[in-house]
Amino acid sequence: MDQKRRKGLRAIAALLLLSIAQVGLQVGLAEPASNTAPIAPQTVGRLTTRNNQPIQVNGLSAASGASILSGAVLETGADQSATVNVGALGTLDISPNTRVTLTFDDQGNIKALVAAGCVILTAKTNATGEIATDQGSLGKTNPATGGTLEMCNQPGAAPVVGPGVAANAGAGAGAGAAAGAAAGGGGLFGLGVPATIAIVSAGTAAGLTPLFFQDNPSGPNN
Amino acid sequence: MQAAARIGFTRLLGKYAVVTNSIPAAEYAVALAPSDPEAHRARARVMNRLKIPIEARKSFETASSLRYRDDYLWLELGATRDELGDTAGALAAFDQAVRWAPYYAHTHWQRGNLRLRAGQYNEALEDLRAATASRKSLLPNFIDLAWGLARGDVKTAEQLIQIDGDRDRLAFARFLATKGKGAECVEHVRLLGTPLSEQNRSELVEQLIRAKAFRHAFELWRTENSLKPPVILNSGFEAPISLAQRAFGWNIFPKTEAAVAADRAQKVSGQHSLRIKFGGEWKAIGEVISQLIVVEPQKRYRISFAVRTHELVTGGPPIIAINDAADNKRLGQSEPFPTPTSEWQNIGFEFSTADATQAVVLEFTKVEAPCTPCPIYGELWLDDFLIEHVTTTNSQR
Repeated sequence: MDQKRRKGLRAIAALLLLSIAQVGLQVGLAEPASNTAPIAPQTVGRLTTRNNQPIQVNGLSAASGASILSGAVLETGADQSATVNVGALGTLDISPNTRVTLTFDDQGNIKALVAAGCVILTAKTNATGEIATDQGSLGKTNPATGGTLEMCNQPGAAPVVGPGVAANAGAGAGAGAAAGAAAGGGGLFGLGVPATIAIVSAGTAAGLTPLFFQDNPSGPNN
Repeated sequence: MQAAARIGFTRLLGKYAVVTNSIPAAEYAVALAPSDPEAHRARARVMNRLKIPIEARKSFETASSLRYRDDYLWLELGATRDELGDTAGALAAFDQAVRWAPYYAHTHWQRGNLRLRAGQYNEALEDLRAATASRKSLLPNFIDLAWGLARGDVKTAEQLIQIDGDRDRLAFARFLATKGKGAECVEHVRLLGTPLSEQNRSELVEQLIRAKAFRHAFELWRTENSLKPPVILNSGFEAPISLAQRAFGWNIFPKTEAAVAADRAQKVSGQHSLRIKFGGEWKAIGEVISQLIVVEPQKRYRISFAVRTHELVTGGPPIIAINDAADNKRLGQSEPFPTPTSEWQNIGFEFSTADATQAVVLEFTKVEAPCTPCPIYGELWLDDFLIEHVTTTNSQR
């Protein structure tokens, strides 16, 4: 009887093993090789906006970290500026109140077509940067050396090209930071920050302490 | 109590540092509370703003080691590493962000975008889809991105998006409408499991018209399949007319200087005609009544209508004109309306459509006259509009 039971158990174990192997094989065969259409490799830029404030890309709201494809139309509002980093080709700094179409390709061309506002286009070596309006090209960089082009195209006025014209208009995601840093170096801090802030904020300091205990602002679940 | 006060003070100092981009303030905050991740985060943000990403990275790394479950810290670290060209490091940080907030959109969205730039398309699309599934407001951005990656190929974009349900499909149809892809838009609307709401229908029609996909806008707009272009809708003014702007049918401009109303007293056929009455001013030429009519390119058409005038006095008599809806180019116009008074008479004229013409705008306007603006007094009636192919005998009715 014991021997019979042992034989039965062996048979069941063998069947079980076989079943598991079958299931594994089925799962392996069911895995799709690829579930997406092939995409031709292409250069993709990265958007960074000032203070992570969203700007408009192709009419949609987009913030830092968004991908920028060639042909994107970027639009900033009155208090917004941004930078698009296009890897090996260069960067485009965009001022507030600007509308620009950015195109680039795998042949090293990067072009900013400015409908309104100011931009700084920095092309790296081996890339050709170009700034233009719908009236035509306003300048190109030399791929042997790279270079920077600045322009402003304000409504009702002729486009202005030259060093400093767009920087003064606050182009780029980091615009205004340097000025702020200077203010931070002197000003209130120069008067003695710890004392100044302590006076202003003695009451609020204690109120902020609970934040210290929050470990994961999103939480793992929705 | 003392420790809490110190932390509170450090946080405030950190905020001050970020607001003023002050490195000394940020350094002081870190010195005061070296184990507080917020102090390091503040320093990192200041460094990033001042375009010193190497220092920012150090601070973010310290901050994220002190508070390793903070997905936002990992995202900021990843973004800074990305800025420095350290794609692998950035991806590792974004992986941590996803690990600690796996069901949130922002972590998947950031990682998906990074993977996209790194050329890891399938993984990127998986992340972007996960982000979109979690936050539907990202769907238009995802569709726009897929469209760019597919280089404007509808089928490829569709494969990349992997449309899942009516909501996705409607968003894609809406996107196609803005791109003027009328046929594909209509196709996706037909594939919807639930009928299109009136609001969505009119929004899509509006977008198609804006994108100059007139024929498909009409196809989507019409509720009866028997209604085939070319056709002048409500041609005898028998149906009620309203001031509401509409895609097809008569558009009565709400601020017109003329008094426009259906009139039962005068008509050629049916029960009504349209009466237009002027009291002197007519500066907004062409802004009285109009109708968008879908036509075919390279065809010749005849427009006919009936007009009656009563004590109509002006230096620039009214006419009916036909303009190309795409570029507003004049394709044809009627002879001037009879002045000052006439009984009902039929007026007809022909026009040819251009190679790319898809639709025309029929408008009530006036002849070009030396007086600008021309005062105009009196009233007129319009009835029984008709459009027909010149080469065929089939009329619209």
